[in-house]
Amino acid sequence: MSVDIQPSINPGKHKLYQNLPLDGQDLKTLIEASLIWLKTNQQTVNALNVYPIPDGDTGTNMVLTMQAAFNEITASGERNIGKMAHAIARGALMGARGNSGVILSQLWRGFARALDNLETMDSLTFVRALGEAKITAYKGVVRPVEGTILTVAKDVAQSTETVFKDKKEILDILETAVQAADESVKRTPDLLPVLKSAGVVDAGGKGLFYILEGMLRYAKEMSLETPVTTVQPLSSLVLDNSLEEIEPGQDYEIVVDFRPNQPFDLDNFYANLSAMGTSIQVGEGEGIYRMHIHVADDRLNEPIEYIRSVGTLVKSATENLRVQVEAQAKGTNQKIQLTPVEGGQIAVVAVAPGSGIAGIFASLGAAGIIEGGQTMNPSTEDILRSFEHLPTDKIIILPNNKNIILAAESAVGLTDKRVVVIPSKSIPQGLSAILRMAPEGDLEKVCKEMKRALTEVETGEITTATRSVELNSVQVREGEVIALYNGELVFSSTSVEDACKGLLERANLDNHERITLFYGAGFDKPDVDHLAEQIQAQYAEMEIEVHEGGQPHYQLIISIE
Amino acid sequence: MSEETINPLGTITISHRAIATIAYQAALLSYGVVGLAPKNLADGIAHALVKDPTLGVDIQYDENLLSINLYIIIEYGTRIKSVAASVADNVRYQVEKAIGLHVSDINIHVRGLRISDTD
Repeated sequence: MSVDIQPSINPGKHKLYQNLPLDGQDLKTLIEASLIWLKTNQQTVNALNVYPIPDGDTGTNMVLTMQAAFNEITASGERNIGKMAHAIARGALMGARGNSGVILSQLWRGFARALDNLETMDSLTFVRALGEAKITAYKGVVRPVEGTILTVAKDVAQSTETVFKDKKEILDILETAVQAADESVKRTPDLLPVLKSAGVVDAGGKGLFYILEGMLRYAKEMSLETPVTTVQPLSSLVLDNSLEEIEPGQDYEIVVDFRPNQPFDLDNFYANLSAMGTSIQVGEGEGIYRMHIHVADDRLNEPIEYIRSVGTLVKSATENLRVQVEAQAKGTNQKIQLTPVEGGQIAVVAVAPGSGIAGIFASLGAAGIIEGGQTMNPSTEDILRSFEHLPTDKIIILPNNKNIILAAESAVGLTDKRVVVIPSKSIPQGLSAILRMAPEGDLEKVCKEMKRALTEVETGEITTATRSVELNSVQVREGEVIALYNGELVFSSTSVEDACKGLLERANLDNHERITLFYGAGFDKPDVDHLAEQIQAQYAEMEIEVHEGGQPHYQLIISIE
Repeated sequence: MSEETINPLGTITISHRAIATIAYQAALLSYGVVGLAPKNLADGIAHALVKDPTLGVDIQYDENLLSINLYIIIEYGTRIKSVAASVADNVRYQVEKAIGLHVSDINIHVRGLRISDTD
């Protein structure tokens, strides 16, 4: 965050506490607080997706929309709240991303309309603005789906209107709005069956809650930078060690699952851990907490002893980071050799989630590699950076993931080069496309060929379910291995081998002759070779290949061509 | 004019109209879409006579490629590009889920805007 909010000098003396009407500048700081708080919790919102694979972008879309709204007013000294609110609405409209972003921009539009021609906002106009926001948002759809951000906006409008009959202070209204949003979000699974079966609440609604809560936390002088969380859903904990070097005091990594005694004081817990080590993350799922910490050699036992004092230890794992980093240094010494391009030639840049896959793309002719994948979508800037320096102005981008196609497409408009995005949704599609690349060819013809290649390959993916779900009449439990065929869940199992075989049984193998297995980080070569032998025995007519992909999250990516 | 699946027990036929109905419903559930519009005058006149659950949806199916054209009306004041993108996603998802057939392309034609409020 480039702009810091300066806490006002007298705690508890925010204008909201004095029930003074708010002007344009007050609204601006509240919007900034919302944005920061939403950003802090972006991953929590992203993790609320209804599919059992690492995916999701609602949080990101809402952050980008709020960021656009804030950018519009960041330099504004406007005191008139009506004008300020209209500027916010305009920014949100211009930057609206995704479904949740569009709805959010409509909410701001209604909010602004209620403040038309007003100098300041008091509790009455605040209630009216929340009401108008809801009305405007509902106008945008013929058949509103309940259990979404719309329902949350509706509940906020209703509750604040009711409370206003008794309590007239603007802070009361904001507190009511936050509480109503919180309760409404918790009810979304009862209204929308797809949420219930996935065991999550609505992501857009949760985002709206954070926007309102950010304002309240700012007024209360609470931190906006540290997620209260520190509790994130387990699926969003990033515990991969991509350390390149170890800082002092990071000798061991300890991960502990535990069930805390009640009541559990999270702030205190976090503070005590901070005294022992660094890189602290705490996640929660179905009553089990997971704690991750890096500690120095001489404090190895402290976190575990401490956790035993606050709860029941379920499982713990310790890893020596020094040994691990040394091993890594040996393994990754081979630098990826990108294909050089000359002026006038076509250059391909590809998004790749792991070193192995990046290497394969490079050897097939990629002139640039963008690191990214399912849970780490590269930004438009990352994509631009991958080709801006190349000596040619004919560029082809292979996003290799459906969530990255949009970012790649927005890069097209930001450069003078002729850029074409081939909408490859998976690694196999990307590989199939790059094989049709002819550096000297005509850009349009080459693109047409490459696009056709996308349809000629079938994609299989094997990953671990991050939550229990029933989808496409497949029952999945958290932690089970699942198989996705062309992006659709088709099979679940307890082992990677069975999931892979189940996938192949369901796959369309007619007119295809080769199965390629790309194995990810955490799946060993001997296991893959053994699996490949079994597949070969079953499908004698197919050619089987095995490559190291090095991708995270996916034990196997399977290409059928 | 329909999509056929042949299995050992017989044939399953899904008509264009059935696919269009699914697409129509999915489009109306999308945020920002406030209606569908007849794609041409003849359609418009026909619609005035008979209420059609597939109005504004055009399905083409040949050589295993299913393509859907949608003629929609969007709420004034929303970001049209984002709304169009999400209606395409939504319709694709619902059609693919319901009939298990890959949708090769979806074209969105914004036929008009409905103005509920001017700012």
